[in-house]
Amino acid sequence: MSARDAAAAVTAPTPSPRANPELLGHEGGEQALLAAARGGRLAHAWLITGPAGIGKATLAFRFARYILARESPGRQGSLLSAQSGEQAAPGDLPGSAAGLFVAPDHPAFRRVASGGHADLLTVERGFDERRDRLRREIVVDDVRSIGAFLGQTPAEGGWRIVVVDSADALNRNAANALLKVLEEPPDKALLLLISDTPGSLLPTIRSRCRRLALQPLAMDIVTTLLARYQPQLEEAERTAVAEIADGSIGRALALAGAGAAHLHRDIGRVFLSLPALDVAALHRLCDDVLKQKDEGFAVLAGLIRWWLAGLARHAAAGSAGRTGAEEAGARAGLDALAGAAPLDCWLQVWEKTERLLAVVDSANLDRKQVLLSIFLDIAATMRR
Amino acid sequence: MKLTLDHAALLKALAHVQSVVERRNTIPILSNVKVEADSEALRLTATDMDLDVSEATGADVAKTGATTVPAHTLYEIVRKLPDGAQIEIETASGGQQMVLRCGRSRFTLASLPVEDFPVMTAGELPHAFRLSARDLCGLIDRTRFAISTEETRYYLNGIYLHEIKHGGADVLRAVATDGHRLASVEVPLPEGANGMPGVIVPRKTIAELRKLIDESDDQIEVGLSTTKIRFAAEKAVLTSKLIDGTFPDYERVIPTGNDKTLDVACKAFSAAVDRVSAISNDRSRAVKLAMTNGTLVLSATSPDSGSATEELEVNYRGEALEIGFNSRYLLDITQQIGGEEARFSIADAASPTILQERGDSGAIYVLMPMRV
Repeated sequence: MSARDAAAAVTAPTPSPRANPELLGHEGGEQALLAAARGGRLAHAWLITGPAGIGKATLAFRFARYILARESPGRQGSLLSAQSGEQAAPGDLPGSAAGLFVAPDHPAFRRVASGGHADLLTVERGFDERRDRLRREIVVDDVRSIGAFLGQTPAEGGWRIVVVDSADALNRNAANALLKVLEEPPDKALLLLISDTPGSLLPTIRSRCRRLALQPLAMDIVTTLLARYQPQLEEAERTAVAEIADGSIGRALALAGAGAAHLHRDIGRVFLSLPALDVAALHRLCDDVLKQKDEGFAVLAGLIRWWLAGLARHAAAGSAGRTGAEEAGARAGLDALAGAAPLDCWLQVWEKTERLLAVVDSANLDRKQVLLSIFLDIAATMRR
Repeated sequence: MKLTLDHAALLKALAHVQSVVERRNTIPILSNVKVEADSEALRLTATDMDLDVSEATGADVAKTGATTVPAHTLYEIVRKLPDGAQIEIETASGGQQMVLRCGRSRFTLASLPVEDFPVMTAGELPHAFRLSARDLCGLIDRTRFAISTEETRYYLNGIYLHEIKHGGADVLRAVATDGHRLASVEVPLPEGANGMPGVIVPRKTIAELRKLIDESDDQIEVGLSTTKIRFAAEKAVLTSKLIDGTFPDYERVIPTGNDKTLDVACKAFSAAVDRVSAISNDRSRAVKLAMTNGTLVLSATSPDSGSATEELEVNYRGEALEIGFNSRYLLDITQQIGGEEARFSIADAASPTILQERGDSGAIYVLMPMRV
């Protein structure tokens, strides 16, 4: 099972990116790819960037399908009828573009979705059999398979496409091995790199790819999708989740699945009671969250990040720093909290927290201790 | 889909195709074999996305259709069913299952839709010719040992099959090299192969092909284009991708002016090399060949284990010469030489040496010496 499939299993009915026929809110990106493909001067490598969970992989697979379907010989008729089928379908969602659309019953779509398309290679974190879990990074052997793949002629006669999901997970050796391919790709080869944090990639990789930056989704798209995939959510919860998701449907679904609306309220209480920290309540909260294993911790970590980012923003710009994405209650609270310490202190706390959260898994830290120390640190900053 | 067929026919076809399916697969559809029934035959297809093997076998088809089921599970089942039994295969649950009945056994296999199964489009194969299985085996067996496994020079990871003029006649030649040794074997150009493009057939395809054919007089139909190759033997058909690269101009490394010749009795020589190499160290495996008029002294030394020498009567006239080779490479080549005598053509201790079977100009092996 791949990382994506695992994530999809958590948030039950959402299709994985390779099987999702729909993409919302990225018409600009889609048109850019479409124009490049139609213009006949397609860049051999694209770096698709943007926050996690907004549809980068979905766009990459969508584009791959478009190219593969267009190229598969003798199936033009099927592709055209697929497009007219799309127009006939009820356009119940805002901004669904027909540009790169390939109908889910198109042969190329089916094979891409099943992982059985011989001209599409997906490089993701592999499964570590010794440890019986997914690897934490993409290792060099995974990347070398690209060389072998591109070293052979295409199976269906058209393009050979490699999707690297995500380039952030490449370790140093793997990144260097990828460079070799990026430097000298063969004819009719297309590499689609997906990255949440392009700044952390090797500059040499960045400079060899055409950059396609996707923006966070608009609020109404997130709420529409939430209503579809998590219909049991109440209106208020949905809005709350959409607000803290910062335009990422992936994040919104993860949050909603983990009951983040309640957690958001609880953690909000802890933040708003600062600097007087109710340690007993905090212990209870941490215990509750950690009962849900990895998922709960990830959600809480996300929420802490969201609060700290909000605090830093408010400290930097005062009330002008509002993004409008915060609830009224939280907004007033944020103003008060942010005023308690100067900007550089908030940035320091933010950075330190990020660093801590980033090594929790690799250093196998005690998660409860990590959470407690983050809050103690914030309280200390405010008291200073 | 519903059909009945003989146990033996199904087992044979399945045995041929199932080896292509990789044992460990993270993608479920790739562990499956495609089972297709048309009006009179059952066709099984297995793939690893680089090549596919398909085989048809006669069956009593009641209802046509297609599905995919786990290849290794199906093979295990069929292997364990009694000889001479009749097997009944039927799809069930709206295509989500395939039921296999035999006597009083009944198996239900989870199936995946056939639309999800990888496709290897051969497209048009403009060049087609027939080759006897014996010739094809000869081309493969005598060259495959030299195929490179190095990934950076991916264009050497296969056998280069091409048409060329040699000694005034058109020939079909197979060449493989890993940069240390080169094997080149040819057969008369089959009818229809004129103007074929030179293609590099990947190592894995070679291995799978060799499992399908044996040294017989059966005719193998070969079809190829610049991107695909297809071998059709009797009922089994193998279609494969090719290596997308340019094979280096290998003829430049085959020396033409080597003036010293050394003739050895192949079997005795190879046994002697094998014995002497026991002493040479594991990494370099070097043996030294010291030749004077009429004698050859093989020797190996190793600082750890000691030294070995062996003397052989050979046919050599000329100045004394010492040259070193990797014993593994020497043995690989002498194993391919079926005849009595092998001939070395040597220029000096630092230049490529040619090995050939005496009286057979169809196969040439080039070996780089080692400094010893």
